[in-house]
Parts: sequence; C-alpha cells; structure tokens
Amino acid sequence: MAASVRHLLKPWTPSLCFARWSRYNPYYLDPDPSKDAPDSELSPEQKELQELKTVRPIKAALSSDTSSTFNDPLISKFINMMMQDGNKILARGIMTQTLETIKRKQVEIYHRSPAAKRLEIECNPYTIFQKALENCKPIIGLASVQKGGKSYQVPVPLTDNRRRFLAMKWLITECRDNKHRRTHMYEKLSQELLAAFANEGNVVKRKHDLHKMAEANRAYAHYRWW
Amino acid sequence: MSRSVIQEKVAKLLSRQNGKPVLRPIKPLALKNEVASRRLKKGEATCVTEMSLLLACWKQNDFNNSVCSKEVSVFYRCVEKAQNMAKGKQGTQGRLLPKEANTLLKRFPNLSSEI
Repeated sequence: MAASVRHLLKPWTPSLCFARWSRYNPYYLDPDPSKDAPDSELSPEQKELQELKTVRPIKAALSSDTSSTFNDPLISKFINMMMQDGNKILARGIMTQTLETIKRKQVEIYHRSPAAKRLEIECNPYTIFQKALENCKPIIGLASVQKGGKSYQVPVPLTDNRRRFLAMKWLITECRDNKHRRTHMYEKLSQELLAAFANEGNVVKRKHDLHKMAEANRAYAHYRWW
Repeated sequence: MSRSVIQEKVAKLLSRQNGKPVLRPIKPLALKNEVASRRLKKGEATCVTEMSLLLACWKQNDFNNSVCSKEVSVFYRCVEKAQNMAKGKQGTQGRLLPKEANTLLKRFPNLSSEI
C-alpha cells in the first residue's frame, strides 16, 4: 500500500522556468557543462545516470559554469568562498594572481635546482592547489553532544563536503588574519598553499591540532547516536 | 456499508438509554488530518572500531597521514557504507513515514465540515 501511495509524492515541477535560485527540489539533477563525450567507458551506474539526465528536470546552470577546459569546480568553489560583498571580479582576480605567483615561484626553483632534482619539482599550480587542499582537509571532526547536563566534544566522521569546506575556510581565515598587513592576498595565499603542499604551515598545524583533540577525546566516541 | 455499522456502534456507546454512556468525548470523534511524528529509535555510534584504530595509529606515528593511509581508507569506506545504510533504511519496511503521510493527508484531507 505504501509503495503505491508513495507515487503520489512525486515532486511538482513548475511550468514556468525562473532564473536560477539556490533551493531546488531534490528531484532536479545538477547541470553538466562539459561538451565532450566522457573519455573512459562508463560503468552501469553511470550509464543509468546518463539515461536519467534525458528524462529528469535539470537545475539552471550558474553563469560561472562554462564548458571550457579551464573551468575547475574546486577553484570555482574557492573563489566563491573568498568573495566578499558579491565582488566576484576581485575574488577571481586574486585567484588568478595566486596561481600565477605559485607558477612563478616553482619555475624559479626549477631553474635554480640541479638537473637531478628537477623531476620532483611540481610546476602545475592546479595540482599544487589540489594537493595542498587535500593536505589541509581534516579526517575526523569534533561535534558538541549534550549528555547529562554537560556538553562533550565527541570525535565524529565528517562528510566530504564538510571537510572541503573546513580546509578552504581555514586557508582563507589564516591568510586574512595571521599574516603581515602590508602583503597582498595573492602573496599570502601562495605562501600558504606552497607550505600546505609540503605539509607545513599554520593550516596543516590547525588540522593536526583538531586531530589531537579528537584523539584526546576518544573516550567520548560512544556518546554519538548517528 | 460498514460506515453505518460503525455509526450505530458509536451511537450506542454515547447513548444514555442503557444507563451511563460509555464514552464522554470532549472533542468530536473524528480522525485528524495529520499523523503524530514518531521519535526515531536511538541508534548507536557507527564506525567506532575503525576510528579507534585510526586514532591509535596516529598516536604511534605522530599524526602522520601517509604512514596511516591504510587505516584512513578503511575508515572512509566504513563511513560511506554507514551513510548509505542510513539513507536506504529510512523509507523502507513497508510503511509510510509520518512526514510523507502528513503531506498526502494535507493534499487529500478528510472533510469534517461542509465548505
């Protein structure tokens, strides 16, 4: 009975198409801006997803999602997090300057080093950004749980989105607050990203502090109920 | 057909003809157009063993992630499995969830008064 009645709960789709707003019914699928066909063979689940895309309604694409090869969702997310008061132009400018600075620094190190060490030096700023962000992501977080009138900090697994958000947030706040006032943001960011790439620096230290706190509170792990 | 049978029974329970009435209702005897939302059963913490292994590995190796990569991957797999289980288990077991039932009742309510 429940199964037959549940089909009445299919979501309502509007007949008019509005400009993109941020809260959609979960029935809507995300837009896929890539023009080219996928490189590798698709697994059966991915084939099913492709079939679904021909039938289901799709959310309107953001104006920042392009089909060009330079469109990186991670970088776009970081730009959005850096943006203040809707000044996307400034945030994008800072990001491009950061990537350029990283490239310049790495190329200088590359040319200065002997031939034996040259292969190890990474010059691609995009891979440096991704690796640095990976190194900044925490693995376990702390959640505040109230039990018996007292609130405890309980170690808790985090979702991927939450981890990515925390890594980006820590990077940005670290660069905004704890650096010298007279340096440009792109300079501060490039320093912090290169340090995180080598597993040093304040952001990675903050991640380690969080892990240490989780390790110290491991006795409270059973206070979780989810 | 069965509706009149039920109405007769209710009338008998409310009548004062055979001594005191069995029912003395304060609100009208009609179903509401919503279902009470049940409290979910309190679950246990998932992936505690994997987490404890990971924390022990960290303590030994000074929080070095490259050395503990195996524990980390095991932990991630466990978390993903737990998430999938939690998502899948909610709407099954043959019953409608209270939220779904309430949505449907709002759209197709029992009319208690004439409009």
